[in-house]
Amino acid sequence: MSSISLFTPSEITGRRIAAVPAPHIPTNVCFPHQLRISAGYSTADQRAKETSLQTGSLYEILGIQSNASCQEIKSAYRKVARLLHPDVASNSKGGGATTEEFMRLHAAYATLSDPEKRAMYDVTLSRRRRREARLAASSFPEVEGRRRTWETEQCW
Amino acid sequence: MTEPAYTVASDSETTGEEKSSPPSPEVAIGIDIGTSQSSVAIWNGSDIELLANRQGQKFFRSYVKFKDEIPASGVSSQLSHEDEMSSGAAIFNMKRLVGRVDTDPIIHASKSLPFLVQTLDIGVRPFMAALVDNVWRSTTPVEVLAIFLLELKAMAEVHLRRPVRKAVLTIPVSFTRFQLSRVERACAMAGLQVLRLMPEPTAVALLYAQQQQQNVTENTGSGSEKVALIFNMGAGFCDVAIIATAGGVTQIKAMRGSTLGGEDILLNMMHLLLPDMNFSSLEVDERRKIGLLRVATQDAIHKLSSQSSVQIDLALGNGIKLCRTIDREEFEEVNKEVFAECERLIKLCLLEAKIEEIEDINSVILVGGCSNIPKVQNIIKDIYVRDFYTGIHPLEAAVRGAALEGALASGFNDPFGSLDLLAIQVTPQSIGIKAYGNKYVPIILSNTTIPARRELVFTTIHENQNEALIVVFEGIENTLTKNHLLGYFKVSGIPLAPKGIPKISVCMDVNSSNILRVFVGVVMPWERNPPTPFMVVQMPTIDGEHGLCAEALSKTYGDSFDLIAVKVGL
Repeated sequence: MSSISLFTPSEITGRRIAAVPAPHIPTNVCFPHQLRISAGYSTADQRAKETSLQTGSLYEILGIQSNASCQEIKSAYRKVARLLHPDVASNSKGGGATTEEFMRLHAAYATLSDPEKRAMYDVTLSRRRRREARLAASSFPEVEGRRRTWETEQCW
Repeated sequence: MTEPAYTVASDSETTGEEKSSPPSPEVAIGIDIGTSQSSVAIWNGSDIELLANRQGQKFFRSYVKFKDEIPASGVSSQLSHEDEMSSGAAIFNMKRLVGRVDTDPIIHASKSLPFLVQTLDIGVRPFMAALVDNVWRSTTPVEVLAIFLLELKAMAEVHLRRPVRKAVLTIPVSFTRFQLSRVERACAMAGLQVLRLMPEPTAVALLYAQQQQQNVTENTGSGSEKVALIFNMGAGFCDVAIIATAGGVTQIKAMRGSTLGGEDILLNMMHLLLPDMNFSSLEVDERRKIGLLRVATQDAIHKLSSQSSVQIDLALGNGIKLCRTIDREEFEEVNKEVFAECERLIKLCLLEAKIEEIEDINSVILVGGCSNIPKVQNIIKDIYVRDFYTGIHPLEAAVRGAALEGALASGFNDPFGSLDLLAIQVTPQSIGIKAYGNKYVPIILSNTTIPARRELVFTTIHENQNEALIVVFEGIENTLTKNHLLGYFKVSGIPLAPKGIPKISVCMDVNSSNILRVFVGVVMPWERNPPTPFMVVQMPTIDGEHGLCAEALSKTYGDSFDLIAVKVGL
């Protein structure tokens, strides 16, 4: 955290720097072939949270049923955005974490509000659910399944 | 490394404030700098209030007049005579001029202005000067903007009886990040901290959302989604946006902007009135004449909005007299390209927002001085037959929205829920890098919701290429050179390898305050750890002369440090 240029100009001029939460830096540079490099900036806590969010389905992120109507998806998005959007949340929480959460929320909304993308996602989701069920039954290590899910979610 | 110094300095500064609790947040003012006129508004705790100067004016002509030692602007002084605007001492249109290089068509069109705009056509900042007592005194759009903002700030301080330090400003959709950085610099020079630079349609959308929200509370309605088309055309810019709002949350579905405005209409009319005049190379005495013509033409255009024809009688000196009648038909014919472009922008926006049925739009909101032109209204009526939305004042919309955002960004709450608003913003322009020689590869696309982050993986094009030049551009054009250079840096220390093997990941991150950062990392397939440190660069890094810079880069380096994208099988 040595470079001042990481701060937004407004943060430098106005408020006390000490009170400003550390700017969030993308944690990973991810590559298609599962190569993952940690920039080492974020806290372990943050990373744990991200991992837990990644395992949930897009429906869970929006807090809706998988048969939700288009209207329900829209209003759920707005409802959650009111809580997670950095503009709203920065008053109460550190900005970095909510930026991540909001981007995830928006990605979920972007997929589910587009009928075509939603249909494609539903197929991957049910496939994943079946595989998970299979894996749970067999003795394969669960880690394998997790990593795959992460991959599909990133590549929708 | 400078961080501790900031902490110490600002800590001591604020300790006094902290003792006096509770610290009520200072509400930021909203400023709308228009090409022709500007205004300031603030959330006063229960409503939006436009601030007036001592003369009771709420709209101020956007100009700074250089005279003697102290410049004066349209905020504090009134022109004793309209002709003063044409004397060359007053600099105006700074919003159109700011952050542009001398190859820009807008700068070339500005050569018809009464003050001096000089171009060398090499992609550098144009030379500008005001004529003061027959001396050309050099200045810059940023300096003029800063003087103007300083006067706006002083006016607000008198009105509010407290120091004003924070502001939200509205900006045209087509502004580049470099132009935003110029506006920020002007604000800093004027002692204003910018909380947000807000695209004008977003400000209007916020105001509309608030009105819809209040209607819902009053009628205890269901709060269903409202879709609005916002058309904003002033003297310098034309913006179109499609927005959707419900429950106080506003989404921008699509936004488009261009540098089309009343100034183009004005110039077309001046060409019509004086067809033999070369407006781009004017002598000093000609400038004055053109200045006079400008004022008279502007007046005629205004009149043509309410009457079907107008008579122009103008003495241009040396016995030259201009006497002509122009009717609305001729006016519309001369400006048909301008109007066609308006139509194109609207249709493009509707397409991008995926609006299939025009009936899906609940309101059409017209904003800006040019929205008063009958032809402009007719174009929109041809697309949308229902009546326009009348709840918003066309000239006050942007500044009122900025005042709302000022209250929100200052963390202000309203017990009655009037500030229960959230505008989810989008990036108006695409942002990408140069690759494949001279191709523009956008990474974050226009109309992407922010905060946003996207990564693309590139690779080398030469054997043993150990360096890569990352050149960042912004814009929606397919041709690289038509977009705007934001900055550049070199990634070195790429391990020697055959071409196509090293992976260079370029990640762009735009946070909710619209700050753009570019992250670059190098990865070798056989190595677990990156061979060189990652790079994080906040853009724009460029400090002017970007046209010249872009050309020099491609001339000097060609494709020796070039990259191509790695195709990812999805």
